[in-house]
Amino acid sequence: MTGALERTGLDRRLWRGLIAVAALLLVTYPLFFDDLFYQNMIILSLILAIGAVGLNIIMGYAGYISLGQSAFIGLGAYTVGIASTRIGGDPFVWIPLAGVIAALFAALLGVIAMRTRGFAFVIITIAALFILQIVAINWDSLTQGTSGITVPLPTWDISIQNWPFYYTLIALLGASLLLSWWIRRTKIGTGLLAIREDEDKAATVGIDTPVYKIIGFMASAVFLGMAGGVYGYYIAFIDPIAMFDIVISVQIILAVILGGRGTLWGPVLGAATIEPLNELANQEFGGGNSRLLIFGGLLVLTILLLPKGIIPSVRDFLERRAKRGRAALVGGRLGERRALDGKPATATGGTGQNLLEVRGLHKHFEGVRALDGCSFAVEAGTITGLIGPNGSGKTTAFNLIGGTMGADAGEVWFDGERIDRLPPWRRAYAGLGRTFQITRVFTDMTVLENVVAPLRSFSWRQLRAGAVSGEEAARADDLLAFAGMAEYRDERAEALSFGQRKLVELAQVLMLDPKLILLDEPAGGINPTLIARIADMIRELNARGKTFLIVEHNMPLVLGLCDPVLVLASGECICAGAPDEIQRDPQVLDAYLGADFKLEEPVGAP
Amino acid sequence: MTEFIQATAFGLLIGGVYALFASGLTLIFGVMKVINIAHGALLILGAFLAFTLWEQLGIDPLASIVITTPAMFVLGWLIYRTMIGPLRSAPLSSTVLLTFGLALVCEAVMGLAWGNNSRSARPSYFDQSFDLSGIVLPKAQVYASIVAVLVLALLWLFLNRTWTGRAIRAASANVQGAALVGVNIAKVSALTFAVGIATVGAAGSMVSVLYPFLPGSHYIWIARVLSIIVLGGLGSLQGAVIGAMLLGLAEVYTQTYISTAWATAVPYVLIFLVLFFRPQGLMGTRLREDVAV
Amino acid sequence: MLHLDGVVAGYGAGDVLQGVDLTVDAGSVTCIVGPNGAGKSTVLRAISGLLRPREGTITYEGREIHGRPPEEILELGATQVPQSDGLFANLSVRENVLMGAYIARRERKLIERRYAEVAELFPLVGDRPDERAGNLSGGQRRSVEFARSLMLDPALVMLDEPSVGLDPKALKVVAAAIKRMVEAGKTLLVVEQNVRFGLRMSTHGVVMESGRVLMHDRADAVLNNPEMTDLFFGGTPTKAPSPTASRA
Repeated sequence: MTGALERTGLDRRLWRGLIAVAALLLVTYPLFFDDLFYQNMIILSLILAIGAVGLNIIMGYAGYISLGQSAFIGLGAYTVGIASTRIGGDPFVWIPLAGVIAALFAALLGVIAMRTRGFAFVIITIAALFILQIVAINWDSLTQGTSGITVPLPTWDISIQNWPFYYTLIALLGASLLLSWWIRRTKIGTGLLAIREDEDKAATVGIDTPVYKIIGFMASAVFLGMAGGVYGYYIAFIDPIAMFDIVISVQIILAVILGGRGTLWGPVLGAATIEPLNELANQEFGGGNSRLLIFGGLLVLTILLLPKGIIPSVRDFLERRAKRGRAALVGGRLGERRALDGKPATATGGTGQNLLEVRGLHKHFEGVRALDGCSFAVEAGTITGLIGPNGSGKTTAFNLIGGTMGADAGEVWFDGERIDRLPPWRRAYAGLGRTFQITRVFTDMTVLENVVAPLRSFSWRQLRAGAVSGEEAARADDLLAFAGMAEYRDERAEALSFGQRKLVELAQVLMLDPKLILLDEPAGGINPTLIARIADMIRELNARGKTFLIVEHNMPLVLGLCDPVLVLASGECICAGAPDEIQRDPQVLDAYLGADFKLEEPVGAP
Repeated sequence: MTEFIQATAFGLLIGGVYALFASGLTLIFGVMKVINIAHGALLILGAFLAFTLWEQLGIDPLASIVITTPAMFVLGWLIYRTMIGPLRSAPLSSTVLLTFGLALVCEAVMGLAWGNNSRSARPSYFDQSFDLSGIVLPKAQVYASIVAVLVLALLWLFLNRTWTGRAIRAASANVQGAALVGVNIAKVSALTFAVGIATVGAAGSMVSVLYPFLPGSHYIWIARVLSIIVLGGLGSLQGAVIGAMLLGLAEVYTQTYISTAWATAVPYVLIFLVLFFRPQGLMGTRLREDVAV
Repeated sequence: MLHLDGVVAGYGAGDVLQGVDLTVDAGSVTCIVGPNGAGKSTVLRAISGLLRPREGTITYEGREIHGRPPEEILELGATQVPQSDGLFANLSVRENVLMGAYIARRERKLIERRYAEVAELFPLVGDRPDERAGNLSGGQRRSVEFARSLMLDPALVMLDEPSVGLDPKALKVVAAAIKRMVEAGKTLLVVEQNVRFGLRMSTHGVVMESGRVLMHDRADAVLNNPEMTDLFFGGTPTKAPSPTASRA
């Protein structure tokens, strides 16, 4: 994600050098300086950084904001505190357990939040933090309520000061960064990014969104839970108010936003900036209210003035500087298109078997009947067109078939299986791919990442796989070459034109190797040359056995490409037939050219 | 049985105040799709204002709404102009974080101005109660609920019987349609925000006499307002009222039949239960920000 | 009455309108037809002030109106009924219609009189004033929207796809409503995808494609032009090569 910094060689070396020097300083610091004030400050910064790097996984990558991260600090601290005082043993022994408990609690919250989006998640995380605090206050027998748990002081030699805490936290930060870096490079990371950009779309390309969200949230909690355990031992007193402190949640969020969400190092940078401020607030202004004022105010100002954060802002600046004078790739001519390799293209035509069957679909929106008993079938091997006036329910039909929306009534059968109750990703696994009317590519990913994002099945092993395996890259390159987009492979999709996005979206859907491809207005809003190219691609794919269902307004395209053509009007399928039949069908002419509506005379006639 | 009637009556009375408190939030969400997390902090600010008016000038805390309401209206207007307005096209998450930051600033300012000790306005009727054949209702609670219902009624009249109110409701139903009949969306948004915060001022006056409060009390109010949203849905006054009543009852029943200590957990538990079993909310909550068309 | 000269407008980076010239005479019913994405609705948005044109001029009754906010254009006597759902679903029928007079809200007497006039034109408005607008059927919703657009007694009413999503029965209701507006002396500018429906009730037809005006003639001439069927069901008159040709 530190893309630009990595792309320009000099900046990249400078950046790595900076990180190496900072890491070296951090590791050797306590060996040379024995000022406990600064050691304490670094220890607290490390905890904050661990929290921020973790939060970044769910907030930066997946776009879900958690205001309850300090709950994991509290959980970790209480786990270590309770276990070491009740069961015994060195508190450090219990630190892995703290991580496990935090991760399990995150999973529980994830399950609760599974079917909700956006703001509901924020609510759940706040609620989780406060409810844990209430439990800690009220469950006297376990937590000793507001009087808190006093953890025995460390027994090691005073000369090594706080080194055990210090180095444990450094190890945890290292582990957090490694986890964050690893996630970003695997399928989990691509999936989370896809969820952030467009959760519905992600589901249609085979991403099992609840599983990804839960894994992401667990990953954001595990090391923070352990750090919480260290923290509890370090300050030796665990009480509900300080351990479940929402201001720490705010500091963690602030560190992520300030440093730059979605970047690997941004949260660390943010934490290193914020913790000194925290000390300043505590030492110079007596903590409490001034601490609130500083962090509340900083949050407000960051959102208003620096919403992207430091690293992305610097990156943008460098990118703009680097691009100056260099002609943009985008807007150039289309690349040469290459035919697909493999078996020769021979037209197959219909096979007589229905691949998709839609039976009596109903869908209402606040009283408007978008679909009203819509039934039709798509024969395997065909390019079936779906036409009808605006508002006749075509896009709604697509949404119900693809699973982006649920039907009020009716059934959808695909390849002999009833799919109308399946989530979108399961439909994708079954062999259903779709594009959207307004193209929905993941704009913050590169073209290549977009094309390899789709998943054909779910498996736990696959989650760990690299984001782009060699085999996938080769396949994606083939598909991009097929779409004539090979030279844009490493561009960010955001920079592409509308037409280019359409080609990328098509290549992306092909990655699923679907049996049926739903195209929503493939020719909408693009120029004639590109329309002709897309038509060629569709024909070639069809010749290789792909079935298509196409919503389109461009009649020449529909009539030249599709057979049969289905006609929707007022939420029902009123007619199906070969293109030349459709053109002559009086019912269709009525629906499209205008219901044969008998006004005695033109009303406006003089 | 008496205990149950007592609890129910008490729960409904509390629900009235909660309803007033939540109405402003739901109004703001309706027009500009902003969830104002600072709502609780501004409520406590209103309570501090009422408390100061009572302590310094002897003004009855319930009567002080004629001062707290316009004062908070002005503050709401300023907040909109400086912070919410500039973020109008930003995603919901930005305004959530922004208003959260605002809540912290507000808490800090109150702490600096009034200290972090628990306060409570104690007018003469503070510890008196009505006794209706065994059912005891504190006078302050009854008066506060009556005032809350009056303010809600006024708000309802404003929204339903005035041109400005109609414009607010129109904008919350259909922004483009409202623009096409000549409603200035930016102005109406600012006004809505200010009105929403003004209702919080009124609710704050009531809180000053009903509950002991300190700057940090606003978190429990955030929790309450969030659970009211989850229960009753966002964007409609009726939803806010229903959600508020349900929460008031749930809290009082918990207090009566389980324990006072756990009553504070009720809003959170409700949030978990509703979002898990009915993520769309009891009343068809509009919590999803991305409903596909 | 209304004149557009070289209007260029669009959203984001692209220009949807690429130099539109168009004249609407007082008392006429002008219908803009054309394929999806031709820019028909964008023309209306540019006139009513929802979208600021990038180039070109729009004059209404001799005054330049491009770039003015919607309130001012309403004040000059041009109103627009938006495409599909422009109603305030949570308001009553009466309130919806009253909102049409929002900019004249201080003149209470006038509003009452207008409301009575509009209710005469649209019986639904008089019969079921307290019905929640969200509960109405498609055709009824359209009627309420039309009624709303007449509250300022505008000289020009713009209708954006009045037939969208309506079944044949509702279409009749809408057509009757449009007829009444014409009889009440309004100048209409209608965007319609349903070509016959649109052109049959119009005096003039405008055919748009790819952000430009292709044809502007009397409605019956446009309707009977053999190219019309072609435009919708055959090769388009301009570019868009037949994809079959490239293969053959």
